[in-house]
Amino acid sequence: MYPDDLRYTSKHEWVRSPGEAEGSVRIGITHFAQEQLGDIVYVQLPAVGDELTADDVCGELESTKSVSELYAPVSGTVVARNDDLDASPEQVNAEPYGAGWMIEMIPSDESALEGLLTAADYRAQVEG
Amino acid sequence: MTDATLARTPLHERHEALGAKFAEFGGWSMPLQYSGVVDEHTAVRERVGLFDVSHLGKASVTGPGAREFVNSCLSNDLDKIGPGQAQYTLCCDESGGVVDDLIIYLRADDDLLLVPNAANNAEVVRRLAAEAPAGVDVRDQHREFAVMAIQGPRSERTVAAAGLPTEHPYMSFVEADFDGVSVTVCRTGYTGERGYELVVPWDAATAVWDALLRAGESDGIAACGLGARDTLRTDMGYPLHGQDLSLEISPLQGRSSWAVGWSKERFWGRAALLAEKEAGPARRLRGIRALGRGIPRPGMTVTVDSDPVGTVTSGTFSPTLRQGVGLALLPPEVTEGSEVAVQIRNRTESFEVVRPPFVQAGSAESA
Repeated sequence: MYPDDLRYTSKHEWVRSPGEAEGSVRIGITHFAQEQLGDIVYVQLPAVGDELTADDVCGELESTKSVSELYAPVSGTVVARNDDLDASPEQVNAEPYGAGWMIEMIPSDESALEGLLTAADYRAQVEG
Repeated sequence: MTDATLARTPLHERHEALGAKFAEFGGWSMPLQYSGVVDEHTAVRERVGLFDVSHLGKASVTGPGAREFVNSCLSNDLDKIGPGQAQYTLCCDESGGVVDDLIIYLRADDDLLLVPNAANNAEVVRRLAAEAPAGVDVRDQHREFAVMAIQGPRSERTVAAAGLPTEHPYMSFVEADFDGVSVTVCRTGYTGERGYELVVPWDAATAVWDALLRAGESDGIAACGLGARDTLRTDMGYPLHGQDLSLEISPLQGRSSWAVGWSKERFWGRAALLAEKEAGPARRLRGIRALGRGIPRPGMTVTVDSDPVGTVTSGTFSPTLRQGVGLALLPPEVTEGSEVAVQIRNRTESFEVVRPPFVQAGSAESA
């Protein structure tokens, strides 16, 4: 449920390096986060070109019962967003690490990834 | 979620075994969802869903004159129904505010069962008991009965397959025998679909629950939580006490004046409500439907030309419409067809003011 090849944040995002776009990382929310939220019905993502600062709110996820925010795991520039989620936000529930990905960013400092949680760290946080 | 101070229904272990997520409702630990709100909502619109709503209050009013006494307190006109029928009514205070909305089961002129909301049962009982004449007994039976709702186009087949009566008219009830215990089967509900609500002795709850799930299996029955109950009732624009009706929101404001027996000589809040009716309510509960992708939530501000004019009292994403819908208290001049805006955190979303229901009840195809 928490793939070993991803990095994680304490706010329940995952980061995959590399992403599809040249030099990017791909970002989504974890299995734990989607399960806590329940049926996701609306996803608001930043636009391509937006400059994000680590830990800042950059989007919004709304389920039938609650709203939660998406945080930038690292600082950098948005180079892709998953437009499919506009019409099919339920993909986040179905495949949080696959079709439910959210954005790709080019980190301003690649070494920032090293500061993120490993799968083992994250598992300890949500299962601990 | 397993807070020891919360009351549990007799079906709690059944919910745990089905993998329910729990939430607190009126002091009770209740299933919020099982497979997911959208799935469960769709099951009720297209097939059949089973809800445990045992957190609902139960109280009896018995003795000679019980019916007359209740009719002199609660808002609706009990003379419009006879024994074997149920009625939606309001318990108001003297200022016209709504203490609770509830269903009355008129079993006989000297025997009424009241089903208030979980959080308000004790208060309704207290107010009635304080004014009951000699010989009329008001008794809190909150933990003596479980309540289950079976809702959806295939609910009739499910209830019949469980060996219970189904053919009585809407808002009427029948006492039936289920393996030696008496079960009240009422044609009521809070979803807009055809459905039944069963009042079952506490100790028989698990047997009835299991029988209903078995009976509905071939019709695709789903256990449904209170999350789906909320999206289903919001689709219909049904008010929820504590959000759309309250001590601050009168029946005239809250789309519920149809549940007031205006020609009655006595009921709690009569003078205040007649005065408000005469003057015209200062605000009215109306439906709002998103023109874009906004989802309204209780407490959000409604604006017209950037001026705050009202407040959202209920709101959700309608799984049926795949769109944000809600109820909002608006000035009388903001009528159906108007366009308003709702402040949704950092953005402003457009909504159309409409007359609920948002969804045509029972219109979904029975696949």
